Amino acid sequence: MKPKRRLVLVEDHRIFRAGVRSELDPNIEVVGEAASVADAIPLIRDLDPDVVLLDVHLPDGNGAAVIGAVAADRPGVKFLALSVSDAAEDVIAVIRAGARGYVTKSISGDELSDAVHRVADGDAVFSPRLAGFVLDAFRSGDVAADPELDLLTTREREVLQLIARGYRYKEIAARLHLSVKTVESHVSAVLRKLQLSSRHELTRWAVERRLI
Amino acid sequence: MTTLAARVPAAFARLSRRRDGRLVAGVCAGLARTTRVDPTLVRLVFALLALAGGAGVVAYVGAWLALPEDAGEAVTRRRRFAGIGLLLVALSLALRAVGLADSVLWPALVVAVGAYVFQSDRGLEGGRAKRRRLLGAAIVAGGAISFAVTASENGSQSSLIAPTGLLVAFGLIVGPWIWRLAQERDAERVERIRVQERADVAARVHDSVLQTLALVQRSADDPKRVAALARRQERELRGWLYGDAGRSEGATLRGALEDALADVEEMHGIRVEIVQTGDTPLDERLQALVLAAREAVTNAAVHSGTGDVSVFVQVADADASVYVRDRGKGFDPTAPTDRRGIRESIERRLARNGGGAVVRSAPAEGTEVELRMPLQESS
Repeated sequence: MKPKRRLVLVEDHRIFRAGVRSELDPNIEVVGEAASVADAIPLIRDLDPDVVLLDVHLPDGNGAAVIGAVAADRPGVKFLALSVSDAAEDVIAVIRAGARGYVTKSISGDELSDAVHRVADGDAVFSPRLAGFVLDAFRSGDVAADPELDLLTTREREVLQLIARGYRYKEIAARLHLSVKTVESHVSAVLRKLQLSSRHELTRWAVERRLI
Repeated sequence: MTTLAARVPAAFARLSRRRDGRLVAGVCAGLARTTRVDPTLVRLVFALLALAGGAGVVAYVGAWLALPEDAGEAVTRRRRFAGIGLLLVALSLALRAVGLADSVLWPALVVAVGAYVFQSDRGLEGGRAKRRRLLGAAIVAGGAISFAVTASENGSQSSLIAPTGLLVAFGLIVGPWIWRLAQERDAERVERIRVQERADVAARVHDSVLQTLALVQRSADDPKRVAALARRQERELRGWLYGDAGRSEGATLRGALEDALADVEEMHGIRVEIVQTGDTPLDERLQALVLAAREAVTNAAVHSGTGDVSVFVQVADADASVYVRDRGKGFDPTAPTDRRGIRESIERRLARNGGGAVVRSAPAEGTEVELRMPLQESS
């Protein structure tokens, strides 16, 4: 039995919000909804939810702005970014602002619920697309120029490649003969490297390859 | 009340007399606040001006009348005009104190009034605007001529002043007018570009999105077709919105795969999620890889029983790999079934070009086909 999670939904399409609400598993309670950066910030401060499901693009700004305004005084709140299809630089920006993961809107209700629980537990959630972005960002040739951008270990790269291939954590663990916990810690390590690496290098990368 | 009449009060509007921290009526304190200088300094200037034939005192009274007490409070029109009049008198007093004679002052005032009249045509319709401009020009010309005449009467030292004065007068009329024309033209150009852009977007939306929506309505009872239509539209829009750097530079692996898999999506009504890292120009071998990938995705669409296939493309230093994964029925790879499709269109095709394929599958766990093709040695 999974523990109860309190979720705030920040997303400007009302119909999509309704869809998400109806698809999430019963252990995830949507305690609040906001459609803009300006509404989201006080709402999240007020409600102090476990997880915020955050659209990358909002009418009055991007998801990174919400995280930036709230993260410092609500450290317990975890952010999970989602979007329909974005330029790599936008997605990377939200991750770097502190989101614990990124999923696309084509995700199924079950997978989304799973992702919410995972993020609430402190794990990182990488969709195949995010894994692709990250692999690209850390490609050996590009990072050599910047010592600040830590290289991924071989294991981390393997894990990311399997995520990009559509494997789930459990399947990755079985494939690489690791425990699921170890897989999770590899993904978290990648997330940390992504958040700490030089902004300049990543931006340059993202601009060069507008991967969707 | 336009142009000058609008611009001066606009600057004026932020000026106000200050209620707190005032000594007399708050004029100096207010000026100091708006211009961000020490109030004492402003008071000193007024005091010095007071020595110039009393200009400071008159100016103070004029400002008192013209300025509202604190921003927002309205001042009656009559009171404002009286105030501005007094300010002009103060100006003339100050100029006289500096040594400029009436002969310069009054014509200058006339020219200024003419310039004001000349520019106040905005908002009037054609004929009246023209008459207004003519009137303004006449007043300016009158001022300039009287200036020239009085100046020449005053003797030789003014002979330079006369033409300069005329030039200044001319500049006063024509300058703002030309400036305004240029501004209007710019605004027009921006508007034209905007209209053009909107038309482009509208055309694009009409050709694609609206057409698709119409098709969707017509095929409302065929969910597969609706999904395929929506998917194709999504792909098109995405390509348009985010551009596609890889494909603009001729044929690449990425572009070819996207095209091929889009076809399969449409044909079989499935959804293919492609994730790619890296790209490389398309050659004969990679074309074989694309065809093999197409076949693998088609197999997944036909046999797996799921509508979702994920494809991961990776271009590394030495080879390009494509992983086609579904979470469908799967099969037992050791069972002697008819695997002609896989063997012929995938394995042999790749092998002929130096590549290979690996199929992983288990019943109920889905299937993954891994396709690999070495890249041509650097040519």
